[in-house]
Amino acid sequence: MRYALQRIGQFLIVFVIVTFIVLVATRVGSQDPARDLAGGIASDSVIAQVNEDYPYLDKPLVVQYGYWLGDLVTGDFGRSYTLNQSAMDMFQQRFPPTFFIGFWAIAIGLLLAVPIGVYSAYRRDGWFDKIAANTSFAVISFPPLVIAIFLMYLVAVRTSAFPVDSNYVAPWDSPIDHFRNFFLPSTALGLGLAAIWSRLLRADMILTLQSDFIMLARAKGVSPRRILWVHALRASILSLITSVALQLSGLVGGAVVVEQLFAMPGIGDRLIFAVQSNDLLTLQAITAALVGIVVVVNLSVDLLYSVVDPRIRAARSLR
Amino acid sequence: MTVIETPTEVTNPDPDQTPARRRRRRRPSLAMSFAVIWLGTLSFLAVFADLLPFVRSTSRVRGAGNFAFGPGAEFWFGSDQLGRDVFARCIYGAQISLRIALFSILTALVIGGGLGLIAGYYRGWVDRIVSTIIDVLLAFPALIIALLIVQRTDALSDQFPDSFGWLSRTRAITFVLAILAIAPLARIVRAQTLSLREREFVLAARSLGARDRRIIFREILPNLVPAMMSVLFIGVAVLLVAEGALAFLGYSVKSPTPTWGLLISESRQRIEEAWWATIMPCIMMFGTVLSFNLIGDRLARRFDIREATL
Repeated sequence: MRYALQRIGQFLIVFVIVTFIVLVATRVGSQDPARDLAGGIASDSVIAQVNEDYPYLDKPLVVQYGYWLGDLVTGDFGRSYTLNQSAMDMFQQRFPPTFFIGFWAIAIGLLLAVPIGVYSAYRRDGWFDKIAANTSFAVISFPPLVIAIFLMYLVAVRTSAFPVDSNYVAPWDSPIDHFRNFFLPSTALGLGLAAIWSRLLRADMILTLQSDFIMLARAKGVSPRRILWVHALRASILSLITSVALQLSGLVGGAVVVEQLFAMPGIGDRLIFAVQSNDLLTLQAITAALVGIVVVVNLSVDLLYSVVDPRIRAARSLR
Repeated sequence: MTVIETPTEVTNPDPDQTPARRRRRRRPSLAMSFAVIWLGTLSFLAVFADLLPFVRSTSRVRGAGNFAFGPGAEFWFGSDQLGRDVFARCIYGAQISLRIALFSILTALVIGGGLGLIAGYYRGWVDRIVSTIIDVLLAFPALIIALLIVQRTDALSDQFPDSFGWLSRTRAITFVLAILAIAPLARIVRAQTLSLREREFVLAARSLGARDRRIIFREILPNLVPAMMSVLFIGVAVLLVAEGALAFLGYSVKSPTPTWGLLISESRQRIEEAWWATIMPCIMMFGTVLSFNLIGDRLARRFDIREATL
């Protein structure tokens, strides 16, 4: 418990520093934040409105940050005057597509990586392992952008199975349409992840399979399948989980690129628009949300360790 | 340099090291030869692009517009919409893409490596500060900070051409990529230093009365070099990909200057009629990233560094 609190404290510090840096960065080279918020060439009434809603924009940065954080804690993410939309509404509209791209990318990555990694480790240096190792190495060297372009122009444009301009369809509305819209963008990101993770899992599995408790299980007469998928996998899945959490912030970037290519109306579109128009509050809201997610996932993974691995639980309770 | 072989390494040979394997290992593998030849050729072409007779300039050629030429004897990689030679643009793109990636990884290596080194060596509160910096940098969505910095440096150099005019897009991109690469590098160097500082040769140097500075520069730093080499290669590969993503979003070097990412995203709408204008830069990028990865991976395995995968 003490450990958990310590970690939460650390992550809060990280969150505050990151969001503060973004606030500072948006103010660099911006002489009149209120004018930027109103959208550059705005009428005086809009600027007056901005100044009325956010009277603290000419205060020192730290003070501004305090106000902003206060709003954030009470659930007010700010609003975009150029889009005439509150950031909360924007999230409700734009977040689900981005979430599903990332979610399915991770799902595809794991679905490919776990069987490949486990089997390669089990039949180490066999023909399957060699093919898998070379393929994953090649896939890692394929930039997601290149994979996405190939999928777009070799699959989406030539066949009618997948749309060229994607739309957001919720899975509970129409699972088939959801699949058609999300399969290609998620695959573009998922393949690279699968390659990284299968290599990672293979390396860990090889070490685990050499350890004593596997020998014991084998001597007890546990079936090889059970040893492989239960005993060994559970002991070697730790760094895979860590990697899933670590890849998350990179995945956000990948999702933005893929969204642009497949014309998916996700949060990436808003992000780029906000950067271009220097829409400070939207930018801060998006960053806060994304950093928040990354930080929370990392934190939960950290706490999950002790659930997955009794060895860590024991080591932590000793401290 | 004082590397002391620990006796355990000698008496406990790796089961993989059978004589047959060792002999096979001495011959450079197909993959390594490919990587070295590819990178060698590419850097030769990129460095001497202006002097070589078969590399055209990137200006437009009359009559070659609208993708008139496919890959062939006349235009090796075909011509693009404005009648420019795709091969020449790939080579000049290599010049800029590689320069950006190399400069930024070297900058990151100096800063990140330095931070990791002092954090790992001194530990205590220094380590805590550096670790927090690393955590912050890792928690940052890389893309947001990249877009933000490029956009803001643009605004700065527009508004104050006198004081910030030197801050071109190329420099801004190099700066951004360097910042993004600092955290992983610092983490790896810190981990390596933490284990190196407990080794016997450091203890020996310290008992001979060596100062911290001497131990850092003469004992620990040389032993970090192998790890750094492998990280350097893999880092360049990662940064090339990152530059491509930025270029796709329109945040890399401004348009007529070719980088690979720009070339890939530029003609992709017309890929059906003229595949070469998009696929050729894709192949260049893939081959280069693959080569850097291959060399980096080989070095990492040679020196047994696990954390080197970025």
